[in-house]
Amino acid sequence: MKRYDLIVVGAGPAGLSAAIEGAKRGLKTVIFDENEKPGGQLFKQIHKFFGSKEHRAKIRGFKIGEELLAEAAGLGVEVVLNAAVIGLYQEKEVVVRIGEAVRHYKGDAVIVATGATENAVYFEGWDLPGVIGAGAAQTMMNLHGVRPGEKVLMLGAGNVGLVVSFQLLQAGCEVVAVADAASAVGGYGVHAAKVARTGVSFYLSHTIIKAEGGDRVNAVTIAEVDERFQFIPGTEKRFEVDTVCLAVGLSPMCQLLKMAGCRVLEIPAKGGQVPLVGTRGETSADGIFAAGDVSGIEEASSAMIEGRIAGIAAAEYLGYAVNAELEAAIAENEAALSELRQGMFAPGRRGDMVEFTDEGIHVSVSLLKKGYVNDEEIARFTSASETPGFRPIIECTQNIPCNPCRDVCPRNCIKVESITALPRLNEYNACSGCGLCVASCPGQAIFLVNGDVGGGFANVTLPYEFLPLPKEGDRGVALGRDGQVVCEAWVSKAQISSAFDKTNLLTIKVPAEMAGKARFFKSKGAV
Amino acid sequence: MEKRIGEHPILGKPQKGKLVTFTFDGAAAQGYEGEPISAALAAAGVSVHRYTAKAHKPRGIFCAIGRCTDCVMVVDGEVNVRACVTPLRAGMDVKTQRGVSAV
Repeated sequence: MKRYDLIVVGAGPAGLSAAIEGAKRGLKTVIFDENEKPGGQLFKQIHKFFGSKEHRAKIRGFKIGEELLAEAAGLGVEVVLNAAVIGLYQEKEVVVRIGEAVRHYKGDAVIVATGATENAVYFEGWDLPGVIGAGAAQTMMNLHGVRPGEKVLMLGAGNVGLVVSFQLLQAGCEVVAVADAASAVGGYGVHAAKVARTGVSFYLSHTIIKAEGGDRVNAVTIAEVDERFQFIPGTEKRFEVDTVCLAVGLSPMCQLLKMAGCRVLEIPAKGGQVPLVGTRGETSADGIFAAGDVSGIEEASSAMIEGRIAGIAAAEYLGYAVNAELEAAIAENEAALSELRQGMFAPGRRGDMVEFTDEGIHVSVSLLKKGYVNDEEIARFTSASETPGFRPIIECTQNIPCNPCRDVCPRNCIKVESITALPRLNEYNACSGCGLCVASCPGQAIFLVNGDVGGGFANVTLPYEFLPLPKEGDRGVALGRDGQVVCEAWVSKAQISSAFDKTNLLTIKVPAEMAGKARFFKSKGAV
Repeated sequence: MEKRIGEHPILGKPQKGKLVTFTFDGAAAQGYEGEPISAALAAAGVSVHRYTAKAHKPRGIFCAIGRCTDCVMVVDGEVNVRACVTPLRAGMDVKTQRGVSAV
């Protein structure tokens, strides 16, 4: 039986981070992962991450995955793929199926970072081909380059449903609607807004009655539900689709921890059965730690920090870390983690109906019900002026932990006081119009407006992550936050820059009075 | 609509192995070496991977990461092969699975 100081199960964001911290402190470390490729779900995450510099904000998930793999390799972490851990027994004996062989290993410490599995939801026809998990759609299009379908209905307006809806649009699929049985959008409002402004309709308090089809789904019917989640007759809406995506939550995969005798609790707010863990990821079983979604559903940024903490804690457990260094490293990570866990979407506030931002501004109800901030509500947060000169319009209306806009501005125009505070303009007249804030906002919620470019027109610069990128001189229409046509528009500039990292900047010319409304562009041919 | 993404706004052109020929239910089909069998089939417009044993209902991709086993097929005579995590190789014989047997 081969022995390692540290055995990590799962090569996703938590597992890789844990292994890195362990190996850094001299632990002989191995990671087993059942997949053909490492990285867990990171390589399907093509959006820019939220947070601050310490959390790798504004870097896309797959890039973070590449960085973690390189770091782990540099530290000599062994990553064994196609290796499914099928047993975790007393004395930290780890049983792994590698190909057709079953091998036994001994870990002096074990970190379980197995992540989560997608939930399903049952309705008539849910088993038809074409009804797939949202994660499956991500895997097909972002890893394998194949569109999951042409016309898609997304069930689920949490972050997964919203992010995958946007990714479907980026892959060239049509998203006919986003539906959710909940009465409010559960994910970040900015993720909803970037989907809604392209013209996708949101149906909150709606769920699927049935999917129809022969060898593949060809239609789906949704209907409104009451407070007790019962269908309201007469509210049915039928869509012709070839794909239905389910984004109805994740469940932690803690089977190995249960097998090892760790105490497990049923905590609905954490996604189901989760191990009882201390602040350093330690479970009730000696020398066994848990990190990432397996100990409670959050997202990749917190999973990476939990992994780091567990890796350091495992080093301490084995006597590899000097106490002072360890305490400092843990304190630093705990501070970073606590930053991510603040604001309206903090784990402790899940399910709460928030009425006001931390600044005391009434939140946008339209954003929660329809996926976009309406014209009346946006005035509470920002306003476009009809004067010459550039000005960033920041349509960031919820307290989420994120601040790249502040850090990228070369002229210090944007302030974000605490990490969850809404960004505010600081002497906005100094804005040079460089567009870095527009490109770096992970929520694509910043627009640059030049309120007077002559002739009664204004320029609006918006983030554009679709192909083809319209060209200078192209004619088309501007869409509002609600995805409806607001006016004719002309492309005055299309900027591509490595500093923008694939978020191209499209500047459109619109009548000056529309500068506060025009938030997306469709070429004439595409209308 | 073409099922394969020619160029992606963030990911660029998909990195693929070489184009190979395999057999699907006796007919020649093409896909890229190393991609999951299910990706090659999806690109060719195939949605049904198997029919259930009792009710003969169609099943296809559901999770796409080897967890749900809905997409299993008969590959080179072996039943219950997860098409979503099994890399495509030239000359593979892929068949729609009926129930739990190869016929």
